[in-house]
Amino acid sequence: MIPNAPEIGKLLFIICFWICAIFLPVWLVSWAVGVLLPMLLEQGSPSMAMTATAETLRALTPIISVMVFIPINAMFMVLYERRALALFTVRLGPNRVGPDGLLQTAADAVKLLFKEDITPRGADAFMFTLAPIIFFAPSIFGALPLLAAITNNHSLYQITNLPTGIFYILAAASLPVVALVMAGWSSNNKYSLVGGLRAAAQAISYEIPLVLSLVTVCLMAGSLDVVKIAQQQDGGILNWNIAGGGALRGLDKAIQTKLGVETTPLITPQQSSDPTETPVAAPTTFEEVIHQYYPFEFLSYISAGVLIFCSFILLGLYLTGACAEINRIPFDLPEAESELVSGYNTEYSGIKFAIFFLAEFTNLFIVSSIATVMFLGGGDNPIPQWLLNKMPLEPIQKSLGAILSPFINGLHLIDPDTFWAAFWVIFKVYTFVFIAILIRGTLPRFRIDQLMDFGWKRLVPLSLIAFLVVVFARVLVVCHG
Amino acid sequence: MQDQGFMKSTIGKDFLYGGLVFLTICAFLGFLSNPATRDVIINNYYDIGMFFGIVGLGLFFIGIGARTPGVIAGGAIGSFIVLTAPQDALVRYLSLSALLFGIGMYGMIKSRNAVRVLMSIELMLNAVNINLIAFSRFVDPVQVKGQLFAIFILTVAAAEAAVGLAIVLAVYRNMSTVDMNKFNLLKW
Amino acid sequence: MDQYMILKDYVSSADAETALFYVIAILAISLSVGVISDRNIIRSGFILIGVFGAISGLFLMLQAQFLALAQVMIYAVGITLVVVIALMLTNPRSEREAVITEGDEFSQETGAVQFIQRLQQGTPAFVAVFSFFTIYLAIRSESWTPVTEKVSTDNVKVLGEALTTVYSLPFEFASVLLLAALIGAIMLAKAEKRQPAIESAED
Repeated sequence: MIPNAPEIGKLLFIICFWICAIFLPVWLVSWAVGVLLPMLLEQGSPSMAMTATAETLRALTPIISVMVFIPINAMFMVLYERRALALFTVRLGPNRVGPDGLLQTAADAVKLLFKEDITPRGADAFMFTLAPIIFFAPSIFGALPLLAAITNNHSLYQITNLPTGIFYILAAASLPVVALVMAGWSSNNKYSLVGGLRAAAQAISYEIPLVLSLVTVCLMAGSLDVVKIAQQQDGGILNWNIAGGGALRGLDKAIQTKLGVETTPLITPQQSSDPTETPVAAPTTFEEVIHQYYPFEFLSYISAGVLIFCSFILLGLYLTGACAEINRIPFDLPEAESELVSGYNTEYSGIKFAIFFLAEFTNLFIVSSIATVMFLGGGDNPIPQWLLNKMPLEPIQKSLGAILSPFINGLHLIDPDTFWAAFWVIFKVYTFVFIAILIRGTLPRFRIDQLMDFGWKRLVPLSLIAFLVVVFARVLVVCHG
Repeated sequence: MQDQGFMKSTIGKDFLYGGLVFLTICAFLGFLSNPATRDVIINNYYDIGMFFGIVGLGLFFIGIGARTPGVIAGGAIGSFIVLTAPQDALVRYLSLSALLFGIGMYGMIKSRNAVRVLMSIELMLNAVNINLIAFSRFVDPVQVKGQLFAIFILTVAAAEAAVGLAIVLAVYRNMSTVDMNKFNLLKW
Repeated sequence: MDQYMILKDYVSSADAETALFYVIAILAISLSVGVISDRNIIRSGFILIGVFGAISGLFLMLQAQFLALAQVMIYAVGITLVVVIALMLTNPRSEREAVITEGDEFSQETGAVQFIQRLQQGTPAFVAVFSFFTIYLAIRSESWTPVTEKVSTDNVKVLGEALTTVYSLPFEFASVLLLAALIGAIMLAKAEKRQPAIESAED
């Protein structure tokens, strides 16, 4: 039927194995640092120092789990990318180290760390060393607010949440370009310099559509707080920002009312806007709910459609801009192998090159998780509530709860909310990564003038138009925010 | 030839500046020597005296051949600490802003590269921003007007940098240099 | 929430804040001296980014989150642009020559002339010290009455409301200014097409 079914099966096996290999250590380490050690320290009657240590450990949990996560994740993503590319081009891919090449990237990482670390003659040694660090630091610190969003605001990760979360992420995402120019200039190599200059031009041009698309999403959500944005989208695929920023929320609620599913009480706009008025009785029929959420009948339906269309455009704009920001094919001009040897990292070897490599793949992950949180509802499951209630999940949940209750209640090893949120986030993020690999396997590289034309003459006007359309269209529909 | 003429014409100015420095220091020393004002000065203005002491020390070190950047950095940090240690938080922020402004001004006058002049101007604008935000934090924390003005200053700084760089590019295209001392087409 | 409160109390206690302020201030001062005194213009551009990072740290301490992030976002990209332009406009070889001549400038002269030349070289320093000192005296002689209440945590909302209501006219003017600057910069920097020979020579 499918000629390369066994290959796909092997790829799926690798993905499953490595995802377990990534998230078991992260989970266990964060549990040990955030729950177990403080619990042991605070046993009996702890002294002040013990309590302070425990609190410090809890506060450090997010950054420690990120530190554990980044190297293992990069190892997985390299293997994932190589195997998936091999699948698209009907090749075998790495298949010698370990069963089916499972451990190929681990071996590569060891080899890379033991290579000689060379600083070329005439290079500015200080800047040459500083560049990989500046490139890497934002990928550790930049995505911290996302942690609160993708763990469903778990109490250990709440500390990473900021009221200006998405703005913080964007500010951190604009830093790596400095490191690229720095690396290119300090290498004392013409190819590196040209790579750095290209990186600067490209990042400045494509940051505008990227930021504008995310700003539009923030406008739809009415908040800059990523946790708020993620929580607004709870309750199935119809509430996600990809479905018009909540333009289909009314439909969702109406179906719930029709099916008689018990849900959280509807937040009526009359109540929230003017508390002194007597609250209007909650609507009970399908038509009433529809009328409440789409008050201008036909115009509202049209604008809901426009909103959905715009949100798809915004996702496309975001993915394009992000692709250019993290220098992936088809926007990998700064490190174009066939033109510039390897661009800004031509002169790097050993651990510095490893850091560049690590940061690139981590950036891919971060960009995908921003897309997940902003467009695809974060840790929300795609099945709408009314459909979920129809499913016979009750006995399964009960039996699972019975099995897992010692872990949940005694050791606090599993937090069910966080677990399911993390599961869905992982699923969505690696889907985005798969799309990025698919694009890499499909599209050729841009030329530099085409790149600039495409950025300034197509994407920037398109993002401005989308912004304006969303501003006007969301007045007619009751959306998020 | 041209350089010597330039120097001759500025000798008068040099005497003026030298005299100004001399007069300032003399006035300070004069106040110190008067026993009636000495106590007032020592009680209230000892930080200023130490500041001038640090400046004089810096001049001395530069005179005997120390590296200027190191002396400037050490003097700036030392005088900043001396001047602000007994003060309120607000005064500390304002002094830091004044100090960065002074450093920016020094760079703007001193440097010969037009791009570095632009950088110094950016530094001065940022010092102003610190000032405004410190006021909005300590004096007007509810209606954060200082932050609003800082936003406008950011806008102006962006516009200034864009136009300034464009001008530098245009000048470079005509003169093939960005050395400020060589932009003398308007001189007769 | 507990650990968050404890950490917050610790961070906002006066001693820790003062210490942090001095650390950031010393960083900012030494880096800004580096900006104006580094021989290499490109290096000093990169150091300038460090200065702006330190200043945005000060903004965070002053509870201006939005401005701190805007600072990082605008200047990281903006200064990179400055550096790139500096890269295009400076010739490393001529830079080195300029440094050498600057050092030998007053070695031939003797006595009073050399003293005067040194004074002339010290003019910028005098102006800078004098301006700093004047501002400092002005600050010091005033008695401020600091308000103890804290900045509200959602001051982004306050900023947004103020920008769209009371300050909407300045906001529009700022946008017009930016547009004018954009157009002006493009007009100034655009290569003249009449002399293709010069253009290609420079490329």
